Amino acid sequence: MDEAARGRLRDWLAAASGDAGLRIGAIQKLSGGAIQQNWALDVEGAASARRWVLRTDSAAVLAVSHSRPAEFALLRAAHQAGVTVAEPLFLCEDSAIIGAPFFVMARVGGTALGPRVVKDGALGGGRERLAERLGRELARIHAIRPPRDDLPFLGAPPADAGLAAIAMLRARLDAAGVPRPVLEWGLRAAERGAPAPVPPVLVHNDFRTGNLMLDASGVTAVLDWEFAAWGDGHADLGWLCAKCWRFGNVAQEAGGLGPRDALYAGYAAESGAAVDDARVRWWELMAHLRWAVIAADQAQRHLSGEERSLELALTGHIIPELEWEILAMAEAA
Amino acid sequence: MLEKPGGADLLATARDLLLAELLPALPPDKVFAARMVANAMAIAARGLAVEAQAEAALQARLAALVGEGADPLARLAAGIRAGRFDGDEAVRNWLRDAARLRARVSAPRALG
Repeated sequence: MDEAARGRLRDWLAAASGDAGLRIGAIQKLSGGAIQQNWALDVEGAASARRWVLRTDSAAVLAVSHSRPAEFALLRAAHQAGVTVAEPLFLCEDSAIIGAPFFVMARVGGTALGPRVVKDGALGGGRERLAERLGRELARIHAIRPPRDDLPFLGAPPADAGLAAIAMLRARLDAAGVPRPVLEWGLRAAERGAPAPVPPVLVHNDFRTGNLMLDASGVTAVLDWEFAAWGDGHADLGWLCAKCWRFGNVAQEAGGLGPRDALYAGYAAESGAAVDDARVRWWELMAHLRWAVIAADQAQRHLSGEERSLELALTGHIIPELEWEILAMAEAA
Repeated sequence: MLEKPGGADLLATARDLLLAELLPALPPDKVFAARMVANAMAIAARGLAVEAQAEAALQARLAALVGEGADPLARLAAGIRAGRFDGDEAVRNWLRDAARLRARVSAPRALG
């Protein structure tokens, strides 16, 4: 960020926060993906120093995820619903300040890295407590229900979230153009065993180990809201519990982090309704199918030459393992 | 005609050297990349080791399931989606054998 942009950002933040004397200390890039950038922002105000994160779009923006204003609205809805998120503070839709819309949120501590957190049984106050807490977080997210005037970009809820998910994955397979009979077998099994639709709730759609910021005391933030949509809340429980998202710690069925029973118990205590285990299992099959389709699309970016990368290339080689699991799950379905 | 050791042997030997001698000497921020390289070499070596006849046998069985003609894999996929192979034991066995072969190369640990 150049000096001029920094000056404009200072003026804007001073006005937004109502602190005319606000000064920007350090600005440091935290992470930069193909879609978003996060900057650590230290500011000194009249009363105190504050540690914020500025989130903005990278130059090449993909259409698949929500825009920054939409993500800000989701964060605010989640925060109001009692979900543990970084508190959203200010939204700037004016691209003239730093070159793209951005929002500012509180900076929280903790670690999210999947392979690390599944090995640390003390994180989140111990495995039982952590899983129970994750259940409560999900129940709070699912308490957000349509219609919501503040979330118009989510569109109308699907009449049947399960069948809509199957149709979406089939469309993506067709667009990719590579025949994948094992994935078709899994999708067909899912279609034949699809549970009846339930009233729609807000589904996070990427609530898994790796997107959950944790420290010794508990969850410090649920991250990455860009795929949130109206749907069946069991999809989130299934995505978290799916074997492919346990980072090798398969015995701890809630994301490699803790026991499934504790997750369900926390969810039931917060929502007042028991978890439908069979429905969660159906969404676990869907989770494997969804991850396989995403992995195929990522590998295609390497294969097509759009982005030559060993990491993307190896992501494609996750698919056979997912297929092996899908066949076993389809048999049980 | 080609000089030995061949591709699979060279990949395996180079991978051992990478893991035993290079990896421990790398700075922490390069360890992930080195592990990816080792993983890629292992997959490539296992791919070279797949017997051509194992793949040919699967192709022949596939033709028996969906009939002769172009794009048998696409026709199998479309048939499964349309429900034409619901409960079909022969198709399920073929899928399992194909998935096993694919996982043997990409992720043998998944097979247990």
